[in-house]
Amino acid sequence: MRRAVALASILAVLGLVLLVPGTGGVPAVSAATVVKIGVDLPMSGGEAPNGVPTNNGVLLAIDEANKAGGPYTFQEELKDDAVNGVHDPAQGAKNVQELIADRAVVGIVGNFNSNVGKATIPITNAAGIVQISPSQTNPGLTKPEFGALDVRKAHPDQINYFRVCPTDDLQGPVAADFAYQNLRARKVAILDDQETYGKGIADEFEKQFKKRGGTVLSHDGIPKGTQDFHAILTKIKSENPDLLFFGGVTTTGGGLIRKQMPDVGLKIPYEGGDGIVEDEFLKVAGDAAEGSYGTVASVNAEKLPAAQGFIKAYKAKYNQDPGAYSANAYVAAKIIIDAVRAVGPDRAKVRAWVANLKNYKSIIGTFSFDKNGDTTNKVISVYQVKNHKWEWLTQRSFEL
Amino acid sequence: MNWVLFGQQLINGVSLGAIYAVIALGYTMVYGIIELINFAHGDVYTAGSFVALATLVLLGASGHMAAAALAFALAVTFAVTMLVMGATGIVIERFAYRPLRGKQRLAPLLTAIGVSFSIENLLQLWMGPSPVPFPQIVPNPFFSLGPLTVGQMQLVVIGSSLVMMAALQLFVHRTRLGKAMRATAQDWMAAEIMGIDINKTIALTFFVGSVLAGAAGVITGLFYGNIWFINGFRAGLIAFTAAVLGGIGNTTGAALGGFLIGFIEVMTAQYVGFQWATVAVFSVLILVLIFRPTGLLGQQLPERT
Repeated sequence: MRRAVALASILAVLGLVLLVPGTGGVPAVSAATVVKIGVDLPMSGGEAPNGVPTNNGVLLAIDEANKAGGPYTFQEELKDDAVNGVHDPAQGAKNVQELIADRAVVGIVGNFNSNVGKATIPITNAAGIVQISPSQTNPGLTKPEFGALDVRKAHPDQINYFRVCPTDDLQGPVAADFAYQNLRARKVAILDDQETYGKGIADEFEKQFKKRGGTVLSHDGIPKGTQDFHAILTKIKSENPDLLFFGGVTTTGGGLIRKQMPDVGLKIPYEGGDGIVEDEFLKVAGDAAEGSYGTVASVNAEKLPAAQGFIKAYKAKYNQDPGAYSANAYVAAKIIIDAVRAVGPDRAKVRAWVANLKNYKSIIGTFSFDKNGDTTNKVISVYQVKNHKWEWLTQRSFEL
Repeated sequence: MNWVLFGQQLINGVSLGAIYAVIALGYTMVYGIIELINFAHGDVYTAGSFVALATLVLLGASGHMAAAALAFALAVTFAVTMLVMGATGIVIERFAYRPLRGKQRLAPLLTAIGVSFSIENLLQLWMGPSPVPFPQIVPNPFFSLGPLTVGQMQLVVIGSSLVMMAALQLFVHRTRLGKAMRATAQDWMAAEIMGIDINKTIALTFFVGSVLAGAAGVITGLFYGNIWFINGFRAGLIAFTAAVLGGIGNTTGAALGGFLIGFIEVMTAQYVGFQWATVAVFSVLILVLIFRPTGLLGQQLPERT
């Protein structure tokens, strides 16, 4: 009896499927298979200036791929990992799980922030899906000596996470080299926000600066939520440093520290990582922002002949200059597109193809992925605030 | 020991502590009268910064104004902000706390947290999730006090806080309304029998506390030049700690606690390590509470059975 009911219901469902026009039975004749590229970035609130231009780079790569035609139609599946305007690792993890659950997604571009990556990479690693970040710079996401084996526990030998940007352990040292060699600083004070990114870059700065022969007078952490930096800046002033290095982002103190430096009469150069190279910093620090230095773990696409076409297309489409990571995101998406074209929309094959990427010609230079998934393209840009704008100053290649 | 540096940090500590002290007053007054920890108070302070910003923008205030016009704009901003926040305090009390008064103690505590989140999110809706620049209309030149220097804004912060604390003391101890507040705090039932309008008196307490928080919001906006919708969280937590440290329910204690925390924070930054500042504050709190559970100056508890 029970079996008969089951059989009847199966038949009923089949009948329904056959009755509804356009579904089941006759396969729809479509020109191309739809292939999705998952994207997870902080898109809303105060993070919009980070996520939106980065996502635009992905969209541009997808547009171009679709215009070129071929057997696949590429689509973006976008997720926002900002909660209340702040990037959120738990939200990123949830987003990535949803992307993995969507079988049409062959690879993921993202995330933007390192701490989000710590939450998402274990998930994508277990699923064996390729994940390429345009901007996560924490070395602990890839390098075993920084604890990366913890984030790829499921398949430690099958690298699935790649990044097209250099890492903090390079950003920090290049910032230190820049301070020591270009700015001729010999004694520095360091402040960091005690977060993964901020402390990472500050520690690497300290190591390299000492290696060059410089003196680190003090290195303090900032209690979360601090607004008043007069006391710590007074202390730093009393140490008489040549430069103040800040590890962190604008909202964890980067902006307010710069703003309050003149309050205590601290008139020395101020340098930070890419966490302060943003318009937000200019708003928070106000006039005091002038002259600040910041490193960005990416090549300046504007200075590269190969990227001129991208920049033109970007400006034409979005009516503004590309963001710091737009070109990186474009390249990240393009790698996945090229992989799909080479081996088909199969997650395992795409991952293997990307892992073996050698001498890949891109708009940000020709590079390979090393055994940890890091780019061999190790160029760091230095920016400076001039006339209330971050302007590209120089770029330095990292050498050991 | 570099005494000049110590003195310099003392100035920093007093100006930091003055702000904590003013916010702490609001916590301690409300606790003193209805034994409620008003977690929304820190957010009322931040909302004050936002209202001040809106007022300044409406007035078209900028750093290029003549001194007289600037003084006028500032006076209007203070008046508007303090009134708006005072009214907000009354509204919060009327709708979030009064309906629950006398029921149980946990419920108002939870609504207080709810009100706190509501204010934070309203502020975020209003001016967005990023820090908002606050017009820098008061110049910040430096004055020398012997080997020490003090910024004009630091003087403004310290001066205005002291004025507010003195005004509060006068209000509580020298006026009829203040007397009604003290009576209600001591025993609201007896106060009611004596003809004191309890609802009005409690509303007044919220009004005064919120007025002070609003003024603190204006001052910090001017001082730090940035306001952010979540600033009230940490400020509120620290100010609450100051109130407990000094002896919650005790206005003098709240002021003392505020200055003490400012002092601990700057001295930790100078001599121990900035990252330990918050740890140091709470360690001192724990030590004080172990040896003096009612805070430094003792709690002025309502005498109830």
